[in-house]
Amino acid sequence: MVFTILFLVTLFLAIMETAIPYLIKRTVVFGVTIPEQHTREAKLAGYKKGYSLIVLCFSLVALLVFAVWGIQGNPSEDQLFLVGTAILFAIMLVSLACYIYFHAKTTQLKRQEKWGEDVKQVQVTDLSVRSQDEMLPWYMYLFPMLVTLGVIVYTAIQYPALPEQIPTHWGPSGQPDAFTTKSPISVISLPLILLVMQGMFLMINETTKRSGIKLSATSTEASRIRQLTLRKYSSWFMLLISLLMTMLFSFLQLSTIHEGLFGEGMMLLFPLVFLLVILGGTLVFAFKVGRTGKDMGANLVEGIRDIDEDQYWKGGLFYFNKNDPSIFVEKRFGVGWTLNFANPKGYLLVLGPIIAILVLSFLI
Amino acid sequence: MIIQIEPQSDIPIYTQLTNRIIEGIARGEIKRGDSLPSVRSLAGDLGVNMHTVNKSYHELEKRGIIRIVPKSGAMIQPPMVTTQESPQYLHINDELKPVIAEALVLGMKAEQIEELVSLVIQDLKRMSNIE
Repeated sequence: MVFTILFLVTLFLAIMETAIPYLIKRTVVFGVTIPEQHTREAKLAGYKKGYSLIVLCFSLVALLVFAVWGIQGNPSEDQLFLVGTAILFAIMLVSLACYIYFHAKTTQLKRQEKWGEDVKQVQVTDLSVRSQDEMLPWYMYLFPMLVTLGVIVYTAIQYPALPEQIPTHWGPSGQPDAFTTKSPISVISLPLILLVMQGMFLMINETTKRSGIKLSATSTEASRIRQLTLRKYSSWFMLLISLLMTMLFSFLQLSTIHEGLFGEGMMLLFPLVFLLVILGGTLVFAFKVGRTGKDMGANLVEGIRDIDEDQYWKGGLFYFNKNDPSIFVEKRFGVGWTLNFANPKGYLLVLGPIIAILVLSFLI
Repeated sequence: MIIQIEPQSDIPIYTQLTNRIIEGIARGEIKRGDSLPSVRSLAGDLGVNMHTVNKSYHELEKRGIIRIVPKSGAMIQPPMVTTQESPQYLHINDELKPVIAEALVLGMKAEQIEELVSLVIQDLKRMSNIE
């Protein structure tokens, strides 16, 4: 079981890391802004290929070794977990190292070739783009929260029937393996954590909606479709995660209230299905958004290019722009969002829920 | 309507934004009675400071082009009947004077200037007539 989960997660990570250069917009290569006119240079294509090949080969070897050892070596669950996690981190480290190398190469190439140095930089927006935004309204995120409140009320009603030991952790077999003593807080700690996370999803959706819709001056249509697609699917995907988490947490809470309500098979299957749907959903999301607008041409206007934002992207990965009121911006290397680290509200939004959950767990 | 700004230009961003919005209204790309995006979202979309957009909106309001209604946004105002005493008329007069003076100093003839003005008007009206 542990082996299957770890293998799937590693495979998922390998696919994502390999595909990234082909899922990001063409005007940013390894975190470096490339003017539209030069995005089809052979050297850049070579860098992308190099990155993907190295990451792919390393991941395949790692997966193969892990599979052979996992099936034939009969390791214990702890050993599996340790090695599996180590392999996950190794793939991430190799990808990061490759990224840093090719980021430096691309930066150097851009400087050497003086790409876009004498071209006027412009920033565009479309006043009507906001009316085309299809992100979900905030109240959609209230439905899972209502379910959670229902679970809390139900737990309160069932309080006398609850066991003296309340599970706080579930092992890979789906059975609880850590407990705490029963108290009015500990019995609802699980739905409370869920509520915090659901609230966080609601806030992230709202802040993303208020963040800028960034259009490109040289490929306005392609960038518009990509931004709108990213926003719409992020919003749907986040609601899906919120709903799935509500189902999983409610399922665990119900199995605590009514011991033996679900068979061992269900206890094993439910979290696994949850994991598979999340991983699969992430892949679909990344490829769907990543391929959007790829085949659309650019409206090349002589003498202009998009603003070179490289100065705001530290290492091509971290966005610091004091002027931009956006809290979330599209990632440069990867599909999805990253924080504007110059905006303190962003820290609050991400750290707040984590602190709330930590405080909750210490209270129990 | 597409708004294009040049952050590295000598003209301040808020002036570029103000001019571009006025031009958009003149061309009929934004209709009267429409509202402009909120300060926060326009600033986010352009990646510029909120104060910049705010300054531009207040400039437009001062000139009588938009009306800022708290909570509901910036509405494009219907055209005003401008008599020669109205402050808008005086403002246009003040703005035009140095430009025309410059043209005269550079040696342009009165007819040339008049022709230029009507060409600019034609250009601005072309789009709105198609619609």
